[in-house]
Amino acid sequence: MRAPLAIAAAILVLGGLIASVLPEYYLRLFNLSAISAVAVIGLNFAFGYAGLISLGHAAFVGMGAYGLAILTTAWGWSPWLAMPAAIATTAALAALIGYPLLRLRGHYLALATLGLNVSFYIVTSNWIGLTGGTNGIARIPELAIGSLALSGEHRFLCVALVTLAVVAALAAMLHASRHGREMMAVRDDEIASEMIGIDVTRVKITAFVLSAICAAVAGCLFALHVRFVAPEDFTYAHSITYLAMLIVGGEGTIVGAILGAILLTFLPEWLRFLGTAYLLFFGLLMLCILVFLPTGLVGLGRRMRPRSRKTAPSTSVGVPEMTS
Amino acid sequence: MGFTRKDFLGSMIAATMLSLTGAAHGQQAEPVLIGATVPMTGPLSLTGKQYQNSLTMAEEDINKAGGINGRPIKIVFEDTQASNGTAVNAFVKLAQETKPSFFFLSSYSTQNLAVAPELKKVQVPAMYAGGADAVADGGNEWMFRIRPADSVSAEGMVKAAVDVIKAKKPGILYIQNDFGQGGAQTAAKRLEAAGIPVVGMEAYGQNDKDFSAQLLSLRSKGADTILIFNYPQDGALVLRQAKVLGFKMPLVTSSAALVPAALQLLSPADLEGVWGVTDAFMDASVGGRMKDYVERFKAKFGIDPDPYGLAYYDGAFLMAEGMRKVGTDAKALREWLAAVNGWQGIGHVYSYDAKGNGVRDLAVVKAKAGTKTLELVQPVTLN
Amino acid sequence: MADFIQLLVNGLAIGSVYALAAIGFVIVYSATGVVNFAAGQFVMFGTFAGVVTLINAQLPWSVAYGAALAIMALFGALFFITVYLPLRRGSIVTIIIGTVAVGIIMQNAALLSFGSWPFRLPSPLEDRVVNLGGAIISTHALGVVGVTTLMVAGLWVLFNRTSVGIGMRAVAQDLQAAKLMGLKVNRLLALSWVLAAVLAGVAGLMLGPMWFADVNMGDPIALKAFAATIIGGFGSLPGAIVGGLFVGLSEVLGASYVSSAYKDLISFGIMILFLLVRPQGVFGEKIQDRG
Repeated sequence: MRAPLAIAAAILVLGGLIASVLPEYYLRLFNLSAISAVAVIGLNFAFGYAGLISLGHAAFVGMGAYGLAILTTAWGWSPWLAMPAAIATTAALAALIGYPLLRLRGHYLALATLGLNVSFYIVTSNWIGLTGGTNGIARIPELAIGSLALSGEHRFLCVALVTLAVVAALAAMLHASRHGREMMAVRDDEIASEMIGIDVTRVKITAFVLSAICAAVAGCLFALHVRFVAPEDFTYAHSITYLAMLIVGGEGTIVGAILGAILLTFLPEWLRFLGTAYLLFFGLLMLCILVFLPTGLVGLGRRMRPRSRKTAPSTSVGVPEMTS
Repeated sequence: MGFTRKDFLGSMIAATMLSLTGAAHGQQAEPVLIGATVPMTGPLSLTGKQYQNSLTMAEEDINKAGGINGRPIKIVFEDTQASNGTAVNAFVKLAQETKPSFFFLSSYSTQNLAVAPELKKVQVPAMYAGGADAVADGGNEWMFRIRPADSVSAEGMVKAAVDVIKAKKPGILYIQNDFGQGGAQTAAKRLEAAGIPVVGMEAYGQNDKDFSAQLLSLRSKGADTILIFNYPQDGALVLRQAKVLGFKMPLVTSSAALVPAALQLLSPADLEGVWGVTDAFMDASVGGRMKDYVERFKAKFGIDPDPYGLAYYDGAFLMAEGMRKVGTDAKALREWLAAVNGWQGIGHVYSYDAKGNGVRDLAVVKAKAGTKTLELVQPVTLN
Repeated sequence: MADFIQLLVNGLAIGSVYALAAIGFVIVYSATGVVNFAAGQFVMFGTFAGVVTLINAQLPWSVAYGAALAIMALFGALFFITVYLPLRRGSIVTIIIGTVAVGIIMQNAALLSFGSWPFRLPSPLEDRVVNLGGAIISTHALGVVGVTTLMVAGLWVLFNRTSVGIGMRAVAQDLQAAKLMGLKVNRLLALSWVLAAVLAGVAGLMLGPMWFADVNMGDPIALKAFAATIIGGFGSLPGAIVGGLFVGLSEVLGASYVSSAYKDLISFGIMILFLLVRPQGVFGEKIQDRG
């Protein structure tokens, strides 16, 4: 129980400290990082724990975002009501899609989920009656508690950090639980898992639905932050970005998911001073990280740990996988 | 063109200095900062590059003419890519770090829609060139459109089909994005209202390369004219494929198929029987300021200017005039712009309505037989 | 009927390009196990190799085509050394993300060198058309179908009749065994990348005149090539061809007879259906073998 609470506390404390010193532009990027981190922690259930390669994660983020956008704008619901409804709908859809799809493995699952994401784009761009087509849905209401509007990067960061802390703590708890171990057993050896009595299909679908739930939470946050959603915010390229965040951060770890989300959100913005060449350097840096840090940023921390372990034992709390 | 590290640092320092020194030292000619978010990378950079060029030229010209009462202007560009998220990041970066007195937003409506709530927060006037009516309907009083709205363009295309070509059975082909979907719907409604309903409507994706199915389907439905809502490259491809398929019926394209980036892909034969409804008729033969703009742009950048870029150039001059008259105070400038009536730009006459729509004129053009030189068929003004 | 023939030929021409892109993808996948997300950018580089030799250098046709393909072969070798070798021990996903990063690099390098304006690549069969039962077919489209057929035949000979090709197949099937048999494995792996790059070059040179060359053309092509490989069968050469043609035809015929707005849903819907019902595709490997 210690690790989840430590993670949640670390997120709130560090996040709060950062928020108190940064100007608004960086706060915005922090908000975006936190939203992505929620989605990437979700992806970590599917990929990091259960080994399911999904290139369709952005579609579930999109389902959550569109769910909230449609319920609040067309139906006039309060965001507080629309959020659980959108998340539940996304979870149900994920179960429905996952059931047939998860018989696939490796590259096959990757390309099937990629196809799913492309299909999501086509449907949201053309179902004008429901989604507004490529024009998207604008004027999504602000999140508010009573008369206090949670708008502006500062206040929104509170919402985003609390959500992230809760999601991360729950993820850490799951990781340490029997369910988490079952997922990793399925990832490492499906047949052996089956032999020791794990219901592989159930475990996979659970992981997939959990990942979609986190995605939907991120989607709702996204819709409430930008207050505008359009099909191009949820393309397969975004799915690849989520996966890249997980790999760059360090797959299989919650801290890695958060670090990866922060790095890949900030990196292109930092490189803006390079003018039109900045994306070229972004690609190069990403490639270098993959080549020189195959276990991601978290792996870099681990490599440095032997020296720091004796002096600072608390650092291992940040990586629950090491303690369990 | 390159925005170097030095420029970046320079603008950062300038921004910091400005905020430190404040208005007290306003009389020392420190520049009026303008933010511009345009797509410089990704698929939209084809048009984005033109805005960057024309805004750069406007910056020089305005400064050469004495700037804003002695203060030069300085435009700081940030890239939006083809992404709404990046567009908002670029905007917020400028708003927070450069703190410009004015903004130019991109010409892509979804980017405009995504930026709109942020613009409302910073309360600085901005000009944008996205066409979708949804942007103006958003009721953001800080946004001013410098091009015809998509519904205006669609009406222009209907006018060309009905009045100029005398179409009896029009068909519509449109690109599946905010521009195409919106334009096609408006055009279909207007044609219906004019008593000549469309015989068919076909769509194509932004990345499609073969349009034979859509074109043949419209022909087999008996279309005698086809209205095409397109972007530059696909527009050129549609015109070529229509010729390869032996289509003889008149085609009416929207502005993008006849911008220089698209025209250079076509041969004179591809333009036979093609009418274009362009934002503005741009040719040195118009004379006056248009001739001057077209020739200097070409000399400076080595490529022909297009009407989208011209809209930004006009917009910059309109902004400068406002700043000269009422200063750089955001509220005063916004009010001045909202009251602009009959301002003569090079490409358009600007008169802003309550929704921030400023342009209601277009041009129907056609290529001179056997050449790629465009001729004005008739100007269109809608009310 | 004339319209139907027209659509058929256009669908086949477009499908041929997808097929060639898919073949390049499949050769790399079966030889090296890499899912190359930069496959579409390879085709884009092929087109721009043509821009360099045909438009910038103004070389005569045969020299220009040869030079463009030589550039692509060099590029394939370079890719093998700078991307594949450093990444090859990574997990499947690391390699996927790695190739995506390379794709971003390639696309932006092209943007910086060539700018954002599209180019019109000439064709030796420039703009001529033939009338086929009322359908008007561009000779270039027929040429594309012809060249694809020739390439496919050549590949068949390479993989079945030459020791190099058989060696490549051996490496693809079992790298360790191939090593033990004394095959120069690295050289054969490099050759797979070179071959893939050259095929992408051919695809790029052929589609340049039909679609125009622009630096952002890669990703849409890669998507269609993925759909083609799944439908045809992952890792199967005949599958890539059948899949490519199928996707091309479904696009054109679907737009005509079903719905032009939802036509892409047809190819991707069928792709997902195939994955669910017959994941090995039409000709593919047995799915248990790889995962």
